[in-house]
Amino acid sequence: MNNLIKFLIISLLGFLSVISQSQAQYPEKPITMVIPLGPGGSHDLNARVFTSIVPQYLGNAIIVKLVPGASGQTGTAMVAQAKPDGYTLLFTHNYIDQLQQHVKKLPYNPLKDFKAVARMNYSAACMIVRSDSKHKTLKSLFDEAKSSKGKMKLGHSGMWGATMVPMAQILSWAKVQVNLTPFKGGGPSMQGLLSGDVEAILQFPSGINAQGDKVRTLACGAKEKSLGNPPVLSDLGFPGQIGYMDRIILAPAGTPDDRIKILQSALSKLKDDKTFKKFMKRLGENTAYMNGPEYEKVRADKSEKYKDLVKIMTKG
Amino acid sequence: MFESFLNSFPLLFSGGSFLSVLSAICIGLLIGLFVGALPGLTTLMAMAIVLPISFFMEPLIGIPFLIGVYKGGIFGGSIPAILVGLPGTGASVATTFDGPPLTRLGKGRKALETALYSSVIGDLSSDFVTILLIGPIALVALLIGPPELAAILFLSILIISSTSNGSVGKNMIMLAVGLLLALIGQDPIGALSRFTFDIFELRAGIPLLPMLIGLFAIPEILLNIENKSKNFIKSKLNLNKEEKLTWNEFKKLRKTIFRSTVIGTSIGMIPGVGQVVAAFVGYAAAKNASKHPERFGKGELEGIAAPEAANNAVNGPTLVPLLTLGIPGDNITAILLGAFVAHGLRPGPQLMNEQGSLIFAIMLCMIIANVLFLIIGYFTIPIFSKVVSIKKSYLLPLTIVFAFAGSFVFRHNPADLYFLVIFGVFGYILRKLSFDVTPLVMAFILAPPLEYAFGQTMSLGNENVLMYLLYEKPIATFILCVTPLITWKLWQRSKKLRQVAAETTEDIRNNN
Repeated sequence: MNNLIKFLIISLLGFLSVISQSQAQYPEKPITMVIPLGPGGSHDLNARVFTSIVPQYLGNAIIVKLVPGASGQTGTAMVAQAKPDGYTLLFTHNYIDQLQQHVKKLPYNPLKDFKAVARMNYSAACMIVRSDSKHKTLKSLFDEAKSSKGKMKLGHSGMWGATMVPMAQILSWAKVQVNLTPFKGGGPSMQGLLSGDVEAILQFPSGINAQGDKVRTLACGAKEKSLGNPPVLSDLGFPGQIGYMDRIILAPAGTPDDRIKILQSALSKLKDDKTFKKFMKRLGENTAYMNGPEYEKVRADKSEKYKDLVKIMTKG
Repeated sequence: MFESFLNSFPLLFSGGSFLSVLSAICIGLLIGLFVGALPGLTTLMAMAIVLPISFFMEPLIGIPFLIGVYKGGIFGGSIPAILVGLPGTGASVATTFDGPPLTRLGKGRKALETALYSSVIGDLSSDFVTILLIGPIALVALLIGPPELAAILFLSILIISSTSNGSVGKNMIMLAVGLLLALIGQDPIGALSRFTFDIFELRAGIPLLPMLIGLFAIPEILLNIENKSKNFIKSKLNLNKEEKLTWNEFKKLRKTIFRSTVIGTSIGMIPGVGQVVAAFVGYAAAKNASKHPERFGKGELEGIAAPEAANNAVNGPTLVPLLTLGIPGDNITAILLGAFVAHGLRPGPQLMNEQGSLIFAIMLCMIIANVLFLIIGYFTIPIFSKVVSIKKSYLLPLTIVFAFAGSFVFRHNPADLYFLVIFGVFGYILRKLSFDVTPLVMAFILAPPLEYAFGQTMSLGNENVLMYLLYEKPIATFILCVTPLITWKLWQRSKKLRQVAAETTEDIRNNN
């Protein structure tokens, strides 16, 4: 019964914090944050965690609205057209924001129509095989791929998505040709690996941990202590940050700077919040917060790099 | 594994927490029931919104709470489907065939009770099967890859469209239209835009919910208005005086419920197929087995029991890939995965070994949720029935309001209202020309996953798909081989049934 009372008190407090907004300062009403992706994915989960804690720093609630469709373009277009008053934000990732503009005509211009509020955190993908696979290193996997002349089957989680792009980067840098098959998201691609339909996939650490000794990690985009420190791609000679998915909050361009500053100061306080850290640790996510102006540089830089990548990929 | 099953009992029942578990499930069920009953609000949205609340509860309270929302929401969606013919999800489309006719005959309460009992029985039995067979079901999930899924989806489309009403030719036209409409938007493999004519609203494809409401509810409303003068005297429905479902009527439904439960449970074991197919296949099978197939679609209780038992029987087995392999099969299980993870529990083989008793305790909660649901449903049905006991002259405009509001609330996108109106008019024309829209909707819902699985199969086949299927995928090859046989048999049978139906209508006409 104790738990039930606790739950009621917490929801009551949450409710009160929403209605007790007598102060005339921004935000006077709840802020809507659009996620251009489906429910239950890592963006949804991350957002559920920080939006349940941020009201105490922001003085008002952030309400998540999921608007999936057209590889994230439907939700992004919706925010691009929203009033730039700080009450509509976008929670997206670098591939939707910085890569898609080079692939197809968009009804918005990401760099011009949005400005970065913050990067909440990032995840780095890892290359994995089944534990009964004979490959113990990335090199051995790629050696066989080369000798099988493009017949080796690798999977990814959807065209121009968060594991497809790094996979293409890795393969093109290592000059390996394989049979790349798309799966409908990270879960199905893991199923494809486990059932033996594909030899290897890229997956984020939180998904790998759950599989225990069923899969073997060959290499990761960043240092991963929880996976027993497998080789890092950059140590293997791969250039730049490959496989990083940045989870970023954007605001429509034209949103007043003082409002963005208020948001940033609230969001940046999260990284020292105990409850936030506890939940993020459980999700297997880091809390590597980066402020908007700093991320703008990364944004411009990555946009430029993706342009060349897309050129290479669509040519082949 | 058996030991962890036994250990799950003390985990759940000892200590003072059992009461909190019960109340959490009840609150969840009520939330789900009401959200599901409002057109346009989906179970999925309800679960996403209450997810953070579960973060702050114990895992054995928070997760059953979400399961309650889930189960309540699925039944809630059937309420508007039965009473006013508004399908809230694809899974409740099959229920709109016999629901509104029953309500018009003054049997709305019987229909709702049939739906409740069939849902609970279907769900409960599938949960038991799941607990007993969790290991084998997990193996089945790993046997089903893209080629098998493609073969199964292809067979499902054929089964459903060959048992629809109307002529075979008309059904094939509807099937083709559905497939064409499904092609609009981004192609699933390469993410290129198709048939969008540079209209951005079409890039994400045609939204399912406004289309369903347009095709099913709007024609129903328009036809009702046309018949106004004819039925004016009977226009006031009073469900309070309506009779409850009798024991004899329920006994007649036993076979249907059992058949649908088996169908639903088997479909649930196959990841990626889901409730929509289960409901339609359950309906088709019941109609096929019935001695009076001509009564289906005109107010037959079996037509409610069949889809409702089948779509709920999917629930148990769909959780298996999540719990044993850590792979969520659909959006609902993906949200449950989130709830697990936020409690520091990462479902997968590891968790099954280390904390198997917790997993079994959660499955026991699903059984408890069903029992509680039976009680809550029984007492809320009269309340919901009252909603339509108002005058028809108020009910029809109210239904139109719900149709528009539901389509808008779904994505808050004004473009969806255009889709609603276009499909409403289209559906009305089709009804007048006596086309059955079921094959269209089925093709529209199943074409994208079929295309995806087909594309994957082509890719995995390394340019020699025939050899790949024959040597590496015997299950898919087998399904593809029996497909023509099954379809032929069903087609022959439905031809005979159509003859019977035609004769009986003839008889009725002669008697009049």
